[in-house]
Amino acid sequence: MRNDSPIAREFMETGLCGRCPVIDMHGHYGPFRGIYLPKPWADGMLETMDRSGVCCIVCSSHSSLADPERGNREMAQVVRDHPGRFYAYRTVNPNYPEQLKDEVARFPEDAGFVGFKFHPSGHSYPITGDNYVPALEYADERRLLLLSHTWGFSEHDGPSLLGQVADTYPNVTFLMGHSGYGEWEAALAVAQERANVYLELTAASRVSGIITRMVGEVGSEKIVFGTDLPWFDPHFGIGSVCFSRISDEDRHNILHRNAERLLAPFRARQEG
Amino acid sequence: MRAKPLGGVLSRAADLLEEMDFCGVDEGLVYHVAMQAESPQAGNRLVLEETRGQPRLHATWAILPPQTGELGTVEGFLAGMREHDVRALWAHPEEHRYLLNAITFGSLLEEVAARRIPLFVGPQWEMVTALLADFPDLTLVVAGHGNWGDDRFFRPLVERYPRLHLDTSNYQLAGGLADFVGRYGPARLLYASGAPDLQMGAALLTLAGCDMPSEAKEAIADGNLRRLLAEERL
Repeated sequence: MRNDSPIAREFMETGLCGRCPVIDMHGHYGPFRGIYLPKPWADGMLETMDRSGVCCIVCSSHSSLADPERGNREMAQVVRDHPGRFYAYRTVNPNYPEQLKDEVARFPEDAGFVGFKFHPSGHSYPITGDNYVPALEYADERRLLLLSHTWGFSEHDGPSLLGQVADTYPNVTFLMGHSGYGEWEAALAVAQERANVYLELTAASRVSGIITRMVGEVGSEKIVFGTDLPWFDPHFGIGSVCFSRISDEDRHNILHRNAERLLAPFRARQEG
Repeated sequence: MRAKPLGGVLSRAADLLEEMDFCGVDEGLVYHVAMQAESPQAGNRLVLEETRGQPRLHATWAILPPQTGELGTVEGFLAGMREHDVRALWAHPEEHRYLLNAITFGSLLEEVAARRIPLFVGPQWEMVTALLADFPDLTLVVAGHGNWGDDRFFRPLVERYPRLHLDTSNYQLAGGLADFVGRYGPARLLYASGAPDLQMGAALLTLAGCDMPSEAKEAIADGNLRRLLAEERL
């Protein structure tokens, strides 16, 4: 192959790259209704991560999307069982505003949680809606991360809607899950214009040319890697990064450096 | 709806070959985007023009119902494949608005099955199931499955129909390749890039890095397709 990236060559030859670890900022946990997942539990996910050089992952359990109280409790146990390998987002469901407030109140109970997970499309509730406000205010006060599902042209979580919320809560770091898949121009503009919005690559990475365009227009400092694991094989997304027409410095930024920077305060808190 | 490629459509053979070289892909079965998006009449001609003199690129053609005569007679169509060394076929029943079944395609697909010509289709599983019931010996390759993991659809068909194959262009399922090979062996899987819609290196590293013996990876990377093409009796 003519790709002269040492990172790409090492991944192709060994499946992982010692000099370029990977941090997955968009994971889940457990089985899910519409898909056969060969390795949905922690041990299997760790096997997958080890094969592809993923040193740690930040997850929200599938159960938490339906039942946040049960699912977040499940995720907290996984984080306790595998410190340093699993971190978590606390999922909230805006359709049950009282339960959402309870979940926000429980946030400090569990070490290893780095912020909130929103899934506006899955919950059929707009990210701009009032029911999300308690979680957003809490995250803003404490400078937490917030991973939101986003999808192009969605009335619930299209990229411009996330941009509106990001403007209101400047201390929250928003990870635009799937990078507003399909509405690329708007998604890239939202990330490019706001310091507190990052593009996240789950599913988006497969689209031919999109990573090269993201790096050119937004910069590799504003892109984080993700896979939806236990859904998508990390090698699929890593392959997209490795074979995009970008530099190895960009690959380092996307695959681990940006995530290391974002996770640093939470790791220090956990270790302290 | 398929994603619109952003990196520039690989509309010229030179562009495609440059991308293949960058990623380390030696050869490929190729289609012209016009075969699907415009018409098989235009696309089947264009793919020959683009691949002429390019020994690494092997042309495919798209089919249409024989009853309308748009691609000539069945005999003439097959003779054209032989003349131009067209090695496989594509069917796009949704885009080209036909039913891919024995009523419509009996005369053509009986020949295609008997001659073991690979036919590529998208992951429309009800159609695939009905098609295989009509033509159980058809060498069928389902391409592009995988966003949501289609194993629940295709595993029953793999167990019933020995000539059913799957491409890996969008088989993103974590551990999916190794899990499938552990149960069924590697013979039914064909490496594909999905370019220009999909990033060419994605499926490549997924195969290179998966947990299976190197012989199995080599079979998926090229051995299985070479075997299928060697079995073809055009």
